[in-house]
Amino acid sequence: MELLSNLALGFGVAFSLENLAYCFAGVALGTLIGVLPGVGPLVTIAMLFPITFHLPAVPAIIMLAGIFYGAQYGGSTTSILVNLPGETASAVTCIDGYQMARQGRAGPALATAALASFFAGCVGTLLIALAGPTLGEWALKFGSAEYTSLMLMALVASAVMTQGDAVKGLAMVVLGLLIGVVGVDVNSGMARYSFGIPELVDGVGFTVVAVGLFAVAEIVANLESREPREVYTGKLTGLMPTARDLRDAAWPTVRGTALGACFGVLPGTGPALSSFATYMLEKKIARDPSRFGRGAIEGVAAPEAANNAAAQTAFIPMLTLGIPATATMALMLAALTLQGIATGPQVMLDKPDLFWGLIASMWIGNCLLVILNLPLVGLWVKLLTVPYRWLFPSIILFCCIGNYSVSNNPFDVYLCALIGVLGYVLVKLECEPAPLLLGYVLGPLLEENLRRALLIARGDPTVFFTRPISAAFMIATVVILVVMVAPAARGMRRGT
Amino acid sequence: MKPDLRNNRDWIAGLLFIVLGALATVLARDYPFGTTMRMGPGYFPTMLGGILLVFGATILLRGIRSGERVKGEWGVRPLAWITLSIVLFGFLLDRVGMVPATVVTLFAAAAAGREFRLKEVLLLAIVMTAFSVAVFSYGLKLPYPLVGSYY
Amino acid sequence: MQVSFVARLLALMLLFGAACTAFAQTSYPAKPIRFLVGFPPGGTNDIVARAVAPRFSEYLGQSVVIENRGGANASIATDLVAHAAPDGYTILLVAPGHATNPALLKLNFDSVNDFAFITLLAESQNLLVVHPSLPAHSVKALIALSKRRPGDINYGSSGTGTTVHLSAELFQYMTGVKWVHIPYKGGGPGLIALMAGEVSLYFGNVPTVIRQARAGKVRAVATTGLKRTPAAPDIPTVAESGVPGYEVTTAYGMAAPAKTPRAILDRLHTDIVRALNAPDTRERLLGLGADPVGNSPEQYTAFMKNEIAKWAKVIKAAGIKGE
Repeated sequence: MELLSNLALGFGVAFSLENLAYCFAGVALGTLIGVLPGVGPLVTIAMLFPITFHLPAVPAIIMLAGIFYGAQYGGSTTSILVNLPGETASAVTCIDGYQMARQGRAGPALATAALASFFAGCVGTLLIALAGPTLGEWALKFGSAEYTSLMLMALVASAVMTQGDAVKGLAMVVLGLLIGVVGVDVNSGMARYSFGIPELVDGVGFTVVAVGLFAVAEIVANLESREPREVYTGKLTGLMPTARDLRDAAWPTVRGTALGACFGVLPGTGPALSSFATYMLEKKIARDPSRFGRGAIEGVAAPEAANNAAAQTAFIPMLTLGIPATATMALMLAALTLQGIATGPQVMLDKPDLFWGLIASMWIGNCLLVILNLPLVGLWVKLLTVPYRWLFPSIILFCCIGNYSVSNNPFDVYLCALIGVLGYVLVKLECEPAPLLLGYVLGPLLEENLRRALLIARGDPTVFFTRPISAAFMIATVVILVVMVAPAARGMRRGT
Repeated sequence: MKPDLRNNRDWIAGLLFIVLGALATVLARDYPFGTTMRMGPGYFPTMLGGILLVFGATILLRGIRSGERVKGEWGVRPLAWITLSIVLFGFLLDRVGMVPATVVTLFAAAAAGREFRLKEVLLLAIVMTAFSVAVFSYGLKLPYPLVGSYY
Repeated sequence: MQVSFVARLLALMLLFGAACTAFAQTSYPAKPIRFLVGFPPGGTNDIVARAVAPRFSEYLGQSVVIENRGGANASIATDLVAHAAPDGYTILLVAPGHATNPALLKLNFDSVNDFAFITLLAESQNLLVVHPSLPAHSVKALIALSKRRPGDINYGSSGTGTTVHLSAELFQYMTGVKWVHIPYKGGGPGLIALMAGEVSLYFGNVPTVIRQARAGKVRAVATTGLKRTPAAPDIPTVAESGVPGYEVTTAYGMAAPAKTPRAILDRLHTDIVRALNAPDTRERLLGLGADPVGNSPEQYTAFMKNEIAKWAKVIKAAGIKGE
């Protein structure tokens, strides 16, 4: 079978000592980068660019790819340990992962994240191998109308995300939408809410919002009372997940992988949307939804599987269409171009050793990540036993450096301080930050695509229902709305 | 019964949302609104501001009715110190270099804590500064001046 | 006797001081040079800078450190260099947007007089591609088709004010056809939209778009430069296909703050031109679809003045508003 011979070729390439070494280097570096807020794969790959000039193409791309998905892994580590999302997609892991850490279950949380990511990575790699070009074509079917209905569905479903008060949760989503509006409007070129400040013309950065809202607010909240109160209170029960944990996490991992693989191919949305979506799905279909937000292992396994699967499938548009989905992909594409490799529809035929070698090394990279991270779990858990008064200033420091490094601009740091204050106030008022982040990520996409879809359709709103994929999402939205409102309506009727 | 508004959680939350929503709507007045089928840049923000205002009002009314208090105390002191430490970092990095900025930030952040033991904080500052320099300046080759400024 | 001793001491100090400053000048560059790039890592601007930096550093004898200060279409980085100390240790990668920003944004600097333009590093063109379903195989056919269907054909762009957008605006300005602008966020989504058929036209940058064209996913019609691009010598330019005088060049250049001393500017110019002529730098730039140039400061300054004026006209005529 052709696939087997291709894979054999790929493994042959990937298993060379040189390529293995570069894979390991990339993955290790990526994990380290993911742990540090703000300093993402983009900055790292940019720094290492000159090295890629001296390396041949295959090891170069293997290393760069390793950095990329290694960073996704690392981002979840800080989410779980200190409520600090390293990447957009890791924000969801904060919700339950951090609570697990506080209950002394950091070990199982980290291990589950690693295992779920590994599973997702394997499946993702397999998908690229089997169905890469097909999935690439699927991405092409998504036009502005489809994105609009998808975002609308996600926003409506976001009411499911909120733990407590639904109205406050929705208010947070709307606030997030507003923060997302800051910056240049794609459709008109006009800068909104920028107050004449050039740094705001490009909007409020994700790192700034995530760090301020999650990490800073959390730290201040932990310091507020005058009596000493240890943050990580639960007794350390064990480093590895129990059999029960693994059983609970199994199906969410599978579902997360499926969602992540599908969304990862869509440019611009990918890992973030996948992790939010699976979280909402899991919460909705769980037998006991109230466990979510209090340390439910499904809330860690599903998003982690989703974002890792999405990180793998994000390579598909780049490899098969030659179009980078995100800035990081663009950089990798540039690295390839500078090597003289033209990616695009022909890359599978013109350069099979590159394509299949990359795929095989992605699988190897996933293995290496698990091998690397599982023993590290013990180390991370030990880190949590450090007295909080040493831990939190260090966290603040890394947040500052991370924020600054995004654009080398102190403004981002000041803005983060401001959002930190806002975040603390909101946390005190029992408004959760996760829905805000969802609104912030989805809002701009929804508005941009909605206006564009209407522009292309020359103002005809039926376009959302006449195109099949879009219609499907719209119907799903209505269904979700009905399902959400019906129990309340039924309750009211019974009450009268 | 006079509703008790002091430290009333939902009253404050509602007020916050009302203010933010109103602000958003007022600022968006400068942007062209357009029509529903041809939305201008002002359409979305105005709508959102309005929705936030409505939500805010709902929460505020609920707060008046329920009278639930904010749990725990407001950590004004830690908030002030942490905010200051972050702001100082941004201010100092370009002007005096990464090493002094890091040390100052660590001290200011540590001041937010409940206990402040000078020797411990000093040690922490030395260790973390060394670590940061190693990782960021040498490891990642981020081009920040260690001591002294760009200018 | 004491006075004369003091006087001698003072004279010695003065001499020593003067020698020091002379010595300091000849030992430029004495520390690393900041090369400001107005976009985050990964974009073409950044990669152009990274392509030239290694050899440039080597010839200068000091490391040239790329500093990314993204924001507001490179105007933040540009502003920084405009106000930086003119000592030769801060230089700017002049982005294509430098010519269009004056007409679109409120700037705190003078785009011409606050800078000492050193050289045009590289220039690239855009390639007009259409969706295969559009019945137009040449520029003339496209113009005829567009005149039959005014306001009906959609074209995509990578954002308002980008060269992708402005290429189309210039075309409409010079030919009188009317298309509908559908902006996207960045080049990737725009190109995908074209391939999906959501828009029918796209003036994409050559390296990205040429791949799709060769693969048959989209149809190449013409390039936007004055001369045919070496990357695709079989594709005619818009100018030779019926719109004489049409030219859109995406230019990447280098500049320093205006009052930088002549000696330092000359040194920078010599070394960067040498770097541009190095075979590996040339190869990297060509791989990006950019043709290395390396002209004189006078030529580059004249070019920039011309561009700023030209785009101000087009932007005004198209009614594009920025902030």
